[in-house]
Amino acid sequence: MSKRKGNAADLAPSKKEKKGIGQYILGFFLFLYTLFCGLPILLVFIAAFSDEKAITQNGFSFFPEKWSLAGINSVLRYGSQLLTSYGVTIFVTVFGTFLGLLVMSMFAYSISRKDFRLSKFLSIYLLIPMLFNGGQLSGYVIFTSYYHLKDSLWLLILPLCVTTMNVIILRTYIANSIPNELMEAAKIDGAGEYRTFFQITLPLLKPSLAAVGFMMATAYWNDWQNALLYITTDRKKPLQLLLINIQKSIEFLLNNANVPASARAAMGGNIPQYSSTMATVLIVIGPIMIVYPFFQKYFVKGLTVGSVKG
Amino acid sequence: MKSFLENTWKHRAHVIMALPAFLILFFIMYVPMAGLVMAFKNFDFSKGIWGSPWCGFNNFKFLLASKNTFFTMTRNTLLYYLLFTALGTFLNVVLAIAIDQFLFKRLAKTMQTIMIIPVFISYAAVQFIVYAFISTDTGIINNTMGANIRFYSTASWWPLILTIVKMWKDVGYGSVLYMSVLAGIDTELYEAAQIDGANKWKQIIHITIPALIPMITVMLLLSVGNVMRSDTGLFYQVTRNSGTLYSTTQVIDSYVLNAIFKNSNFGFTSATSFFQSIVGLLMMLFANGVVRKVSPDDALF
Repeated sequence: MSKRKGNAADLAPSKKEKKGIGQYILGFFLFLYTLFCGLPILLVFIAAFSDEKAITQNGFSFFPEKWSLAGINSVLRYGSQLLTSYGVTIFVTVFGTFLGLLVMSMFAYSISRKDFRLSKFLSIYLLIPMLFNGGQLSGYVIFTSYYHLKDSLWLLILPLCVTTMNVIILRTYIANSIPNELMEAAKIDGAGEYRTFFQITLPLLKPSLAAVGFMMATAYWNDWQNALLYITTDRKKPLQLLLINIQKSIEFLLNNANVPASARAAMGGNIPQYSSTMATVLIVIGPIMIVYPFFQKYFVKGLTVGSVKG
Repeated sequence: MKSFLENTWKHRAHVIMALPAFLILFFIMYVPMAGLVMAFKNFDFSKGIWGSPWCGFNNFKFLLASKNTFFTMTRNTLLYYLLFTALGTFLNVVLAIAIDQFLFKRLAKTMQTIMIIPVFISYAAVQFIVYAFISTDTGIINNTMGANIRFYSTASWWPLILTIVKMWKDVGYGSVLYMSVLAGIDTELYEAAQIDGANKWKQIIHITIPALIPMITVMLLLSVGNVMRSDTGLFYQVTRNSGTLYSTTQVIDSYVLNAIFKNSNFGFTSATSFFQSIVGLLMMLFANGVVRKVSPDDALF
């Protein structure tokens, strides 16, 4: 994994081992599997730029008869809602990830202090939610009728903010990769606990933070369930909920053949169509796919070092 | 006791640092646990959880009385868990070994990048992609085969469809963890085996796979606690929550989600939730107990 890129020699197999026919067969199968993974995503791109008529007549295809920008253009009809939803999703993702990383790494740091006797209790406290939880229904009732947080962005942020697994990954990284002496030395030099944490531990924790942070950000970006359960106002709808709403309105139109023509006309540009729906999907999944390759090395490394448990 | 308090006071900075996560866990995870008492109550939204009257085991009687719903979704939950875990683990390991054995490293890395992408696409979006493949009129599968299969109203197709979608989404990512273990195997082991005349297959069987066993154990152990939980998006979004498919697609989680939206049948649903949580807990304790006997180092607690 740590090999430097941009070296042409990497393309060739390492000198010691010969590449026999087996390597090519293996490569062929891996290639097939790559196609299996990649083609459906490619289809999103193609369908987004396909002509609507071509899809309704001949179905989805990797080789559309006609290309068109109409799909992408008509996404702009959702205009302000799309922009709002983008804003909500970005806010929730960024704020939630940073909040989560901060509170989880502080927690992980605290429970990894060796002579801190409360840490045993805190570790158990951390572990229990992994074994036992209240389930969706009681969560729903508690959050809405006791905390009164229905339609609040907090319900998109807090439920994904602290997870046992992520704290364990961070704690393992602190225990294995950050020498305790370093923190002792800082203390001797007169740095307080907080300064030691923020100026010594946190910077050293970066690889693990990048890995956990990226996984958190993806979870936030892709979270549809909490949005569907709790968010009702258009102003607070994240992207995933927008996608679900599009699907619902398609279904409504399909199942109600007797929607009067005037109503259809009134809905006008809002009748979602195949190509524009795919264009929306593309706009929703695009950012993650663009950002992900930059983080790949971190989460591979972060998973490696943090492994699963301490 | 006194020394404990002194120790805590000395570490007050650490207590304060642990506090925010402590509180979030408390309000998000712990308080809803108490909400499980709903299962023993005749729940009424207006009276709240504590104000609603107790009803003993009545809700559980509903559960057993409504055989079909409850048994179908429990069966589906369990079978999909078994299928996804067994097949998923197998494919993760196979893919990890395949990529590890592949000597064109740059190419392997590019392919791996593509294989991982699906995990980052939400089910709300995956649903549209699946539709493009299997819809009756415009779907690629029906069009290329000249068939006219109505996937969205034929329940028997869905175990296959859901398995393919699930594997498509998760296997690439799942293999990363195993690859990281493989990267840590001492290459001298392989060289020594080669000198002893072991061919590639023998090396895989005697060196690679044994090295993966601890990680497989831990991953299985972690998953056992989720035996009653499912990837809700897969069963709720990808199936378009279609009622005609419930016999093969409804799992406990998607049932509960539906019940919340329909705002109905909370007695039944809360009993189901309770059952789900308790079984999850027992399975977790059981699995951990087994692992602690077999290989204590891999036990979770």
